[in-house]
Amino acid sequence: MQNNRKEHLYKILVIGDLGVGKTSIIKRYVHQTYSTNYRATIGVDFALKVLNWDSETVRLQLWDIAGQERFGNMTRVYYREAMGAFIVFDVTRPTTFEAVSKWKEDLDSKLTLSNGQSIATVLLANKCDQKRDFLTNNSLKMDQYCKENGFVGWFETSARENININEAANFLVKHIIASENDILKSVVPDTISPQLNSDKEMTCSYWLSLD
Amino acid sequence: MHNADIPPDVLRQREAKWLDMLNSWDKWMAKKHKKVKLRCQKGIPPSLRGRAWLYLSGGKVKKEQNQGKFQELDSQPGDPKWLDVIEKDLHRQFPFHEMFVARGGHGQQDLFRVLKAYTLHRPEEGYCQAQAPIAAVLLMHMPAEDAFWGLVQICEKYLPGYYSAGLEAIQLDGEILFALLKRVSPVAHRHLKKYKIDPILYMTEWFMCAFSRTLPWVSVLRMWDMFFCEGVKIIFRVGLVLLKCMLGSQEKLKACQGQYETMELLRSIEPRYMQEAFLVQEVSQHTLYTVQYVVSSSKHSLCLPLLVTFGKCMP
Repeated sequence: MQNNRKEHLYKILVIGDLGVGKTSIIKRYVHQTYSTNYRATIGVDFALKVLNWDSETVRLQLWDIAGQERFGNMTRVYYREAMGAFIVFDVTRPTTFEAVSKWKEDLDSKLTLSNGQSIATVLLANKCDQKRDFLTNNSLKMDQYCKENGFVGWFETSARENININEAANFLVKHIIASENDILKSVVPDTISPQLNSDKEMTCSYWLSLD
Repeated sequence: MHNADIPPDVLRQREAKWLDMLNSWDKWMAKKHKKVKLRCQKGIPPSLRGRAWLYLSGGKVKKEQNQGKFQELDSQPGDPKWLDVIEKDLHRQFPFHEMFVARGGHGQQDLFRVLKAYTLHRPEEGYCQAQAPIAAVLLMHMPAEDAFWGLVQICEKYLPGYYSAGLEAIQLDGEILFALLKRVSPVAHRHLKKYKIDPILYMTEWFMCAFSRTLPWVSVLRMWDMFFCEGVKIIFRVGLVLLKCMLGSQEKLKACQGQYETMELLRSIEPRYMQEAFLVQEVSQHTLYTVQYVVSSSKHSLCLPLLVTFGKCMP
């Protein structure tokens, strides 16, 4: 390991209905591979990705969480101390998109940052290499959906074709770092930071950078 | 391939002994259960394993008491809510096993039939993803109808509540495992506690799948031989052996200071601890532990005395 490199360690959740491709996304991102032969995840699985981030090192612990509703009782333990999340759905199956808001609510109700905010969450419309016939065709609507539901952004991804996965991860990391800075700022007494709306401005600028 | 180390004449002898047992099963179970247990520990001959599992589990009796039941369930369409989930899982069980490799092949079709039949048999339970590997292992050893009754026995008699909505039974057993670990390996217990590693982070797949996705295949079969004879305590003991071997000394713990590091370590268990001879030895050696475990929930508190025998010899 290099000297004096600042290290960040972030726990990132990957959640969403079963069979949407959570494991495939993680394997693609971490191991640069794709297979149609992954086993269904029972409980939780893990992987580690190390990024060089400017002059710093970012270590991402990716938590691959079983998609079946039945495991919902265990998510409180899985979510603990996470800093960011991907919620994944399958563009070929509308029901998996309908479940997205359930996952988001579950996440927000069980986990908040120390400043009370929910953790940075990115929506992934996976399997975009396949035929799709709803919503994600309309990116304005998706933007709107993300705003209304508290996602920092969304990406069309394909684990099979390796589309947008690195981009989505970088985007999430950027947000996590920003929200960390926010928390640091909020520790400083009010008199020093007079801009009360800084949160909102921050969000806006990221929204712009999405396009 | 599973019994490469057993000379053919020994294997033939064992087969003869097992055939004899299977032919007068009730007598053996009533009068010579210790002997049956010992033979299960030695390993059931592969050619008779499926039959022996069905007898040991009581699945055979259930099947006879419910003649035609499986066929009846098999002929019903099933609840689309469950079928949808089951279909998504068919190609995700032992994907490299010849039986399940072909999409829509016989193995996957039978798996579908067995899992669907269970959702019709217990509509209030439905389907839990962890049932699929269990059913798949059974199907590698017996026809669909037998596998169905084997699954019924595992879900209802061996691991009751493990697959039910809420998954409370598995979480409870996680806490019991942790309480037992305190007696078996205080070092490992302290370490897991220090890093706030909740049992469900490492034992969910172990227990729900009865180690079928964790251990090398030969060891899976040997553990299941014992599991069908002795029940859930075998699962506990395997879990305790693995935890103790991996986290049981300060030296080993040096390399995994942290929650994630520890979980990584438990996911990549050293092969020597999973090797069948080692595991059978550890799991079948007896030191008696009784753990009185008090569980309090919002509604009531249960007192569960649990008797677990556990191997003493450790590296």
